[in-house]
Amino acid sequence: MKRAGLAGVFLIAILVPFFLNQYWLHVAIISLFYVMMASSWNLIAGYTGQVSFAHAAFAGVGAYTSGMLALYGGVHPALGIIAGTLLAGVLGLGLGGLCIRMGGIYLSLTTLGFSEILRIIITNEEQWTRGTMGLQIPGVFSVYSKTHYYFLFLAVTLAFLVLMRRLLNSDTGLAFRAVLNDELAASTSGIDTVRVRLMAFTSSSAMAGLAGGLYGHYLMLITPDIPSLGQMFLVLAMAVIGGMGSFAGPIIGAIALEFLSEYIRIYGEYHLLLFGLVALVIARFAPSGMVGLWEKIWRRR
Amino acid sequence: MKPVLEGRDVSRSFGGLMALHRVSFQLFEGEIVGLIGPNGSGKTTLFNAITGVFPPQEGEILLDGKPVSRLKPFQICRMGIGRTFQIVRPFLKMTCLENVLVGIVGRDEKGTSREERVEQALSELEFVGLGGQSHRLAGSLTLLQKKMLELARALATRPRVLLLDEVLAGLNPSEILQALDMIEAIRVKRKVTIFWVEHVMGAIMTACQRIIVLDQGRKIAEGPPDEVRSNPRVIEAYLGGADA
Repeated sequence: MKRAGLAGVFLIAILVPFFLNQYWLHVAIISLFYVMMASSWNLIAGYTGQVSFAHAAFAGVGAYTSGMLALYGGVHPALGIIAGTLLAGVLGLGLGGLCIRMGGIYLSLTTLGFSEILRIIITNEEQWTRGTMGLQIPGVFSVYSKTHYYFLFLAVTLAFLVLMRRLLNSDTGLAFRAVLNDELAASTSGIDTVRVRLMAFTSSSAMAGLAGGLYGHYLMLITPDIPSLGQMFLVLAMAVIGGMGSFAGPIIGAIALEFLSEYIRIYGEYHLLLFGLVALVIARFAPSGMVGLWEKIWRRR
Repeated sequence: MKPVLEGRDVSRSFGGLMALHRVSFQLFEGEIVGLIGPNGSGKTTLFNAITGVFPPQEGEILLDGKPVSRLKPFQICRMGIGRTFQIVRPFLKMTCLENVLVGIVGRDEKGTSREERVEQALSELEFVGLGGQSHRLAGSLTLLQKKMLELARALATRPRVLLLDEVLAGLNPSEILQALDMIEAIRVKRKVTIFWVEHVMGAIMTACQRIIVLDQGRKIAEGPPDEVRSNPRVIEAYLGGADA
């Protein structure tokens, strides 16, 4: 049953480019980017209970690293994206090493600070980043085709999700959840909680770097909007509304909110406000999100 | 004979409050030792000091003669000290099997396969009487079952010494009997030395060979149950002295 459902989703995902026009195909590609962002953020926030505000910043690290390597160094985007992923991971390790011991709100505040610092640097280092004007960078393919990009994003997203799933089902994933459930009990059961949280933070940051690198080479124009807090809160809202701590939640939340925001785009930045409010209400009244609500309804029947 | 677990002049204060003042104790292989005292006398604090949750500020704790008091909780667990909590702390949103697996993963051994570990976890669940419950969420268990699950998780870490913090609290008389059988089985079959905090006096007096009494962070008595029971300082601590 579950297997058949997954196969169905996969089939639909493959057929998507043959039914959507160029505009909606673009929306589908962007929503795959958000699937990666929201899922990897869920890895730290949902599975180990650490709210990081630097996730969009790490995507920015990936996008700018890869973009600038391609632009100034002639490095192929594929290599650049790998470099961006690694750099985001290393920065995550450093930042996490600094503040993860303190835990809770301190991690949130430090990551918030890091995120703003990065955005300000990118905005002001105009000779390298062209600031808010944005940097035009080459794409992945020599011939531009949205269908190609769609399949590239789909392949990477699937590989990404499979990898995450395996991580969560491994001993490491078990340790993640133990730390989330009860840090004290985990530590007295032999789990190195600091190491576990640092691992979650580092791998999640690297994943954001990967998503950001791909995103940049698809848009071919990178701006300080990628590492902005607006972007961060959109990812947060996707994970919360979809359902934090569940595997499917952020995936569903990302796709639903990205498609929805196309319809309410006319209200400009207010759509973020709306998502924020909905996320607040969900966090208060249905902490397991849409996935949790769905399961509740399903069980009642 | 060398003690398995030894504390030498262990002290710990919180702000100006002396929660433990130069407490020394020794536990020998296969023993079951009770730790009693009025509320706030430092029993749980001593357990927290031993397990590294709030490490001692002065004094030393040794396991098999090796100092453990500067180690982190997870390292102390891996050295061989397991514990349960006064207010049960199973991983509520995880299944019973996963709860016990955490303890096995916590040993950080190389070379065991996932199947072997699941096998071990299932046998621990069997041992504490939760055989059929492996896929139930810990949050849906009864209090007794949660306590048993905590025991299974602690046993999965393969402890040499197990610290039990009020395992009997909140249980009804028939459950208390079940829990007592379990504790005895752990001591005899698993060859685990047990250090046991309890408020249910009748139970701890019959089960333990030796009792240590704390009052206001100091050790005021130690000895066989009968001796401790008639010790005037112990009676004064529990019932209040003339000046209280």
